[in-house]
Amino acid sequence: MMMEWVSETAAIFRRWNTKLVRQPIFIFFSLIQPLVWFLLFTQAFSAIGDIPNFKQLTGTASYVTFFTAAVVIQTITSSALAAGLGLVNDLESGFMDKMRVAPINKSAILFGKLFSDAITIVVQVVIILLIGVAIGVEIASGLFGVFMILILSAAFGMAWSGISLFVGLTTKSDQTTLSVGLLTTFPLLFLSAAVMPLGLLPAWVQEVAKVNPFTYVAQAFQSLIIEGFVWDKIGNALIAISIIAAISLTASILVFRRKIR
Amino acid sequence: MEDIIVVEDLRKIYNKDILAVDGISFSVHRGEVFGFLGPNGAGKSTTIKILTTLLEKTSGRATIDGLDIDKDQAAVRRIIGYSSQEVGVDDDLTARENLLLQCSFHHIPKEKAIQRVEQLLETVKLQEAADRRLKTFSGGMRKRLDLASSLVSDPKVLILDEPTTGLDPQSRQDIWEYIAELNRQGMTIFLTTQYMEEADRLSDRLCIVDQGKIVAEGTPLELKARIGADIITLSVRSDDPEACETASTVIAKMEGVKEVGLCSVGISGDKGLTVMAHNGSAIIPQLVRLLDGIGVQIDQLTLSGPTLDEVFLKLTGRALNVVERKGAVKGRGWGKRGKRP
Repeated sequence: MMMEWVSETAAIFRRWNTKLVRQPIFIFFSLIQPLVWFLLFTQAFSAIGDIPNFKQLTGTASYVTFFTAAVVIQTITSSALAAGLGLVNDLESGFMDKMRVAPINKSAILFGKLFSDAITIVVQVVIILLIGVAIGVEIASGLFGVFMILILSAAFGMAWSGISLFVGLTTKSDQTTLSVGLLTTFPLLFLSAAVMPLGLLPAWVQEVAKVNPFTYVAQAFQSLIIEGFVWDKIGNALIAISIIAAISLTASILVFRRKIR
Repeated sequence: MEDIIVVEDLRKIYNKDILAVDGISFSVHRGEVFGFLGPNGAGKSTTIKILTTLLEKTSGRATIDGLDIDKDQAAVRRIIGYSSQEVGVDDDLTARENLLLQCSFHHIPKEKAIQRVEQLLETVKLQEAADRRLKTFSGGMRKRLDLASSLVSDPKVLILDEPTTGLDPQSRQDIWEYIAELNRQGMTIFLTTQYMEEADRLSDRLCIVDQGKIVAEGTPLELKARIGADIITLSVRSDDPEACETASTVIAKMEGVKEVGLCSVGISGDKGLTVMAHNGSAIIPQLVRLLDGIGVQIDQLTLSGPTLDEVFLKLTGRALNVVERKGAVKGRGWGKRGKRP
């Protein structure tokens, strides 16, 4: 039973990876997008690093270094919010029916997709970190830190994918799935400590940021890049990710069970 | 004969008030091709989705090879192959990859899978296109691949939802050949179609369905014999303007003749007769002799069998082929329930 699940999940995982690699547009954008973010923000807002409290609050005077975490988060979430699109497409094309009629575990369909999303995200984050290093970002926690960043990214990516899967399976509409993704991601990013340190945010934004999971994920990344291993920040990020995952994955599994027989 | 699919009083109600399948019962014998013939919205796809375990029925009972479609869902899935109307193949993958993927869904060991895929590609004549992505495939090629992918597990029952809808005549011909060949090898095939010709040609037995109900069941021959009759059309060569009338009175008295009508035949509008008879070919010699005897010369004679088109028309009062005859059926409540999932 377990072995069957593994082989089914692996087959579906490989299918998504193959599909992804064959979409040159996607690969192009997953490279271009972080580059644009790096350039836009760090060039336009490099003066942020000169704000008197900035170094004191963040541990670095380089806005690029601080901002790397935001680029990572932005990439993870925009990749994850496209996760539901693949399933919506399968529902429409009849491929889902084909999979369902085959004697496979229903959960393999979901997890194969989730794992493929995770690996995609890991590759993208590696690229961002490489770009970052190339333009002068130093990662204080070293290679192990990079490893930690990748693990957190994969986990955060899967948790966030769950939201997209849920919306996709519920609405069966790719338009809605994309819009919901975009509408939640951007406000959450800017109302968190990802773009600005908490201390420099207006009071009401700080209040929002404190309950915003993006803040904790961003702080974990920032600490790994700027300071090294700060375990309570990593712990907080893991808690935030677990909460999102528990809600989003439960919701998508439930709706999947209900909609797909 | 042993039944492999047994359906009893199957009912499906969508959204509490749309009755898609209205208490149908039928059984499919092992080893036969069983057709479900009906227009769009007749409940064909709904029935298929229920039988393939993709959709929950509202009430009734159905078993495939003795397995209950609800209680033994997983076991049912292991013995059926299904090819949907939508053609469930992945366009980003190659033909070979699609089939290998399907093999892995059925837990076929790698080496066996490679062999099986090769064999299937050969069956549906896609060897040359095997390593091309489906984006470059024609509709017919995709359908052939889809058919192949529903065969990876060598199913006991193959379930096909409108296997040739939207295909060009050549591709349709190909699919028909594959279906006939699979059946020759012993596979039971259940298929839906809205084409008379397809149902007539492929199925050993068929149901005519309309608005969620079975309106007739039997072999194509039985159905045609039950409702229709052979039609003999003949034109006479005579200077006597009364020749036709005379002939018609004589023919009407013949045994086996149901009805005789006067008509004009051909482009020139020659005078002629239409004779409806139960067994047309049997009465032709007698008919010719009879007319010869009264001095009426036959110019042309054609015999045509009844078609399932006529059967459907007689049973439901409507023509079947919605696509081709859209104009004719407009405003009669066709398709108001739309296409169902």
